[in-house]
Amino acid sequence: MAQDLIEISGLARGKGRPRVAETAAPSLVELLNLIRADDPTTRQELERKSELGRAVVSDRLTMLADLGLIDESELGTATGGRAPRLVRLAAKQGRVLVATLDQSALGVGVADLSGKLLTEHHEAFELTAPPQALAERLTTLLRWSLERQTSPEGLWGISLSVPGTVPGSAGDFLTRTPAVLPAWEGFPLVEMLTRSFAAPVWMRSSVDTMTMGELHGGAGQGLGSMLFIKIGRRIGAGIVSDGRLFRGAQGATGLIGALPVHLGDRAGTLDAMAGSDMILREGRLAAETGRSAFLADHLRRGGEITAIDVAQAAQMGDAACVEILTTSGRLIGQVVATLTNTLNPELIVLSGSIVQTNDIILAAVREAVYGASHPLVTRDLRIVRSQMGSSAGLVGAARVGAELLFTPEFLKDWVMQGSPLKHPGFAAFRAGLDLAPPPPAPSPPPSRGMR
Amino acid sequence: MTISGLGPHGERAAPPERVTLLPEDKAAANARGFRVAVVLHTLESDWARQQLSGIVGILGDCGTAVTHVIDCGFSPSAQVKALDGLLAQRPDAVISLPVANQEVALAHARLAEAGIKLVLLDNAPTGLLPGTHYGTLVSADNFGLGLIAAEGLSPYLPQGSEVGLLGYAADFFATNEREIAFTQWMQTRRPDVILRQDAFGRIDEATRRTEAMLAAHPDLAGLFVVWDTPALKAAEVLRSHPLPIPMATVDLGEEAAIGLAQGTPFAIIAAQQPYLQGVAAAQTTILTLLGRLTPAWIALPGIAVTRANVVESFQRIWRNPAPQSVLKAVGLID
Repeated sequence: MAQDLIEISGLARGKGRPRVAETAAPSLVELLNLIRADDPTTRQELERKSELGRAVVSDRLTMLADLGLIDESELGTATGGRAPRLVRLAAKQGRVLVATLDQSALGVGVADLSGKLLTEHHEAFELTAPPQALAERLTTLLRWSLERQTSPEGLWGISLSVPGTVPGSAGDFLTRTPAVLPAWEGFPLVEMLTRSFAAPVWMRSSVDTMTMGELHGGAGQGLGSMLFIKIGRRIGAGIVSDGRLFRGAQGATGLIGALPVHLGDRAGTLDAMAGSDMILREGRLAAETGRSAFLADHLRRGGEITAIDVAQAAQMGDAACVEILTTSGRLIGQVVATLTNTLNPELIVLSGSIVQTNDIILAAVREAVYGASHPLVTRDLRIVRSQMGSSAGLVGAARVGAELLFTPEFLKDWVMQGSPLKHPGFAAFRAGLDLAPPPPAPSPPPSRGMR
Repeated sequence: MTISGLGPHGERAAPPERVTLLPEDKAAANARGFRVAVVLHTLESDWARQQLSGIVGILGDCGTAVTHVIDCGFSPSAQVKALDGLLAQRPDAVISLPVANQEVALAHARLAEAGIKLVLLDNAPTGLLPGTHYGTLVSADNFGLGLIAAEGLSPYLPQGSEVGLLGYAADFFATNEREIAFTQWMQTRRPDVILRQDAFGRIDEATRRTEAMLAAHPDLAGLFVVWDTPALKAAEVLRSHPLPIPMATVDLGEEAAIGLAQGTPFAIIAAQQPYLQGVAAAQTTILTLLGRLTPAWIALPGIAVTRANVVESFQRIWRNPAPQSVLKAVGLID
């Protein structure tokens, strides 16, 4: 029946009452999102929550099943009568490619439509490289990830985590590349990915995606309020309230690295006074002056000192490096204490390579937050180090991709076609790209034709 | 120590020195009398035997009994069954090499939920987190091993030639890293070379896949196989080819070492240090059981082995003299 309705919907509409297929989209969108939110659920639950009649729910579920968007093959537990049939999102119907672009690393993965990460890979990559090189490596790795999937499901979208604010709060797919980094100005990364993979592209800041990842796959699971602090060259905060990521008016929340801080008679932004550039600079100085025996030895052996080396030296007990990290942690802690008193979170998660290498920053932040917060705020507060590493960005990007595919505004325009690739706006965008002159093509991916 | 790759969650590697055992650690472990199970992908390879030797020796030093050594035969279902069986045996810790990704992830998570400490070798299934599901992943720098193989094979590849990459079809962290690194090196450093790729799902498929690759690409100038056991199958195929085709692989097993010493078909082997990896895994297990902080990822660097250094590399890696056939092939004995 659903197939008939779809075909009818393509015909020119006459006068009179709208056809069922034309009015079905809103209820399909509502039911599909209820199923996603409460996966798995039952028909009875859907009738109760949607307040739609039994016949309408039954009809819409048949349509969704025919479109391949839900799965009703499993039975639940009987509570007296017949066992209810469970209704699930058909999460394997499509795939979402995800990627994290950090200052010094690139991560890629594949997720299903529920936002579950299925596979991931991370490698070193300097984001200061020309954008063409980034696009080529990203395309190669994304294609490799997709080809590793043994099942034939199609690609439905690409979700990117990038090291900067992505303006805009709408859920629309991107039709041009936002200038997240100065080098990206005028470079058609989004257009190239859309051409190469024929799928819509979304982008969020790494702080946003990592916060989402920690909320749905890490320490924040099941919590309503959380503060996520990412510590690297830049220091940013992700805010979760009522179980949702708060993105503000322009998607530019949590830019705490720009706040001024003081250390003795020195003043500067939190980024400059406590970020990894400071840790690296002070570490090098400690090595050159011999204050850090560990780093001085590393330098003598021809090693190049990185901020991670400073953090590892601190973990191994090097006093000068412990002092550098403690200073960083205290400054970050002062700012986090202000946020904590403002937001009263249940959990604060610290993340970033330097934090993950040792416990010193964690200890310093804890000391500063507990020392400067109202007792009520800290009574049940937990402050932890993320266990997810860069996976948080990939898990979060997967979650963002899955949510944006099913936002009512986007979903209503493709649900009747059964695939977001048939969304009229996206189809028009792709057609426009095909007419436009091609951008400089990335190198062809390695042939895997025999696989 | 130079580690090229990143960990399964993008972690930077910690050196094995981070899990050095102090006398008081050994004394504390001896007093507790822990029980540990070891679950490996196979017990049939030199690599697995050496790794087990490193694990068992250190655990013995610490008064820790190895109660189970399980060979999963590369089978995800066998591994799930083995891990679920261990739940009832309640060892204090399990050292496991997950043989697949999604298929074995939940079985490993169940160990953590049951309060059994878990130390992983070589592979961390997607979704398992350090500190939550497992203590530490101990592995070689697999990305670095792929780079060593590519760089070592490159001089044998004429300008504009074709090179084959025979990968492993399973979604497995270690072999994925080697494959990606080999490809990346070739694409960036030898863009003139054309990559031809295929994959085997089981080791016994390596022969057929190599034959298929040669049939499809008869001008192949070199071949990289992601580890030595399937590489030996591929080497048999290459030996019957009319033209010599140099090979690169990972792991200096005895047969591969002989092939390398004879100069055909192996040109370069990127070797792991399985004994030391086993030592690091056992030390990590003891520290985890004692409640000490351990890093999320410990990586050991690879060693580039050619005919020129095969004897000393064999000794270094296996802690045994090189086989007579290797010594003869390099002219050290008659």
